[in-house]
Amino acid sequence: MITMEAVALAVFLFTYGLIMSERIHRTVAAMFGAAVVMMLKVVPWEKLPEYLDLDTIFLLAGMMIIVNTARNSGLFEYLAIKTAKLAKGSPIRVLLLFSVVTALVSSFLDNVTTVLLLTPMLLYISRLMEINPMPFLLSEIFASNIGGAATLIGDPPNIMIGSAAKLSFMDFILNMSPIAFIDLLVSIVLIYFIYRGALKVDERDREKINRTLERLDEKAAIKDLALFRKSIATIGLVVVLFFLHDRLGVEPAVVALFGASFILLWSREKPEEVLEKVEWATLFFFGGLFIIVGGLVETGFIGQLANWITSHIVGEGEALIAIAWFSAFASAIIDNIPFTATMIPLIKAMGGSLNIYPLWWALSLGACLGGNGTAIGASANVVVIGIAEREGVKITFGDFLKVGMFIMMATVAIGVGLLWIRYVWW
Amino acid sequence: MSIYSSLIQRKFKHIAGKRYERILKEYREFLLTEEEMVLPEIGSILMPIDRYVREIPKDLYDTLSAYDATILLVYIIDSQVFSIIRQTLSKEASEEFKRKEELNGEKMLGKIAKELENLGLRTQRRLFFGNKSEDVIKIANNYEMLAISKAYGSEITKSSPLSPVVLKIIQHLEIPTIVY
Repeated sequence: MITMEAVALAVFLFTYGLIMSERIHRTVAAMFGAAVVMMLKVVPWEKLPEYLDLDTIFLLAGMMIIVNTARNSGLFEYLAIKTAKLAKGSPIRVLLLFSVVTALVSSFLDNVTTVLLLTPMLLYISRLMEINPMPFLLSEIFASNIGGAATLIGDPPNIMIGSAAKLSFMDFILNMSPIAFIDLLVSIVLIYFIYRGALKVDERDREKINRTLERLDEKAAIKDLALFRKSIATIGLVVVLFFLHDRLGVEPAVVALFGASFILLWSREKPEEVLEKVEWATLFFFGGLFIIVGGLVETGFIGQLANWITSHIVGEGEALIAIAWFSAFASAIIDNIPFTATMIPLIKAMGGSLNIYPLWWALSLGACLGGNGTAIGASANVVVIGIAEREGVKITFGDFLKVGMFIMMATVAIGVGLLWIRYVWW
Repeated sequence: MSIYSSLIQRKFKHIAGKRYERILKEYREFLLTEEEMVLPEIGSILMPIDRYVREIPKDLYDTLSAYDATILLVYIIDSQVFSIIRQTLSKEASEEFKRKEELNGEKMLGKIAKELENLGLRTQRRLFFGNKSEDVIKIANNYEMLAISKAYGSEITKSSPLSPVVLKIIQHLEIPTIVY
């Protein structure tokens, strides 16, 4: 048994190393790790359904189908142009509006798609204004990670936590959305104060910029008006169903799959083309990770670690603070998806001696907001920095760390404070 | 390339894949290029109108306001139509046509001029008898830009969304033209 435990741990650490270095695709790393664990029978075949979290995988797949179908209509480009026009050439308005739109879209759709679609527009506006795009880009990253923390479907760690702890969409709305809302306002204000010198455009230039932006035609972005309307209606319906899924007694994954099949049926988009764009690599990455972490659970390693932690922690308050901060710093360094996948069985195992309900929120808070700490902390960060670099805007690790770590500490502290008041002090 | 840079690029490639190139391509279709962002120096704009031009879109006013230009608004009463009415119906009918056209012309010129002046543009107005295509082509040679409605000169339909008069005018001109 000790050998099996060592094998599971070695595979886990090796896979983590490969994921961090990104020398090979993270999906390949996770699949290879899972294959080794299964070949060596650390996780027996019959236990596979137990560890493979189908709720998470199907929820992600359903949302990917909805987003990919909606994307064909030009909905997101329309939103980006409309937001740019609303800013009326004012850098502060750009900062505020794009941050709010990013947070809002990220809370319901995936962060990577959101920033992929909004970053080109932000860079375009910065070029028009002839100002440093850094404050806009950083604020977009922070807003995306904060927005993702607000709902069950906003960020993969939340999907995984919701599925494992059987938390509903409304539970997330009641616990995480108020925190995310306050954190978003704080992060925008902080960015404004850090970069207020760079966010200036004189009145004459502002008029000129506004006129150029007014010449952009958001309607030209709509490639298919009927699909555009159907996409808005379907996304609206899916959001309503997410709010009601607990009352209806259906899993969030069922709502996402219903939405996916509904939009395919209504729009008559070719399923082959839509399914081709589903990020299968991400889904296999999740599958592989669940099996690798399953190996740690199966061999008892997670149980022993949980016992060790609970023996050193006194009460929920201490556990809440420890988990939130540990998750935040860990997620700033390593991918928050494998981290959450590891922490979930650990928190479950702590359930014997502690009330673990508040700990799920601490994990969600740390895993989602920790991503703001470093340039490689979350996928949204990498995508925005990668796009910026391709467009000639360099955001160094140090540039990001100075602001990111500060924002991370402030937002996690606010979140921990609110959770502590609610679950410990109250 | 630094370790950080190559790590970001590797991660970017793995996360975003080819999606970014696709998005960028789509954006390029409706975002203005650096060249397009620079407004050409336009000092005079010709804007012919007639009874077929029912409404000037708000977007056109916004676009015209981007130029520091004098706009000549012309309303041409079709002299050929006037003659046909005189010959086929009666002198009274042709005078009635002229009176109605002049009334409509003054009203339209006044309304559009007011909108343009509210945006800080200088305007001039002319109302005369003439040929809607020939006269516009002749006058336009002294102007730097033409702004013309798709319906100028005749009714448009779904199957024929551009008036033949407009088609003829734009085929004869070399100045920048906005067809709204």
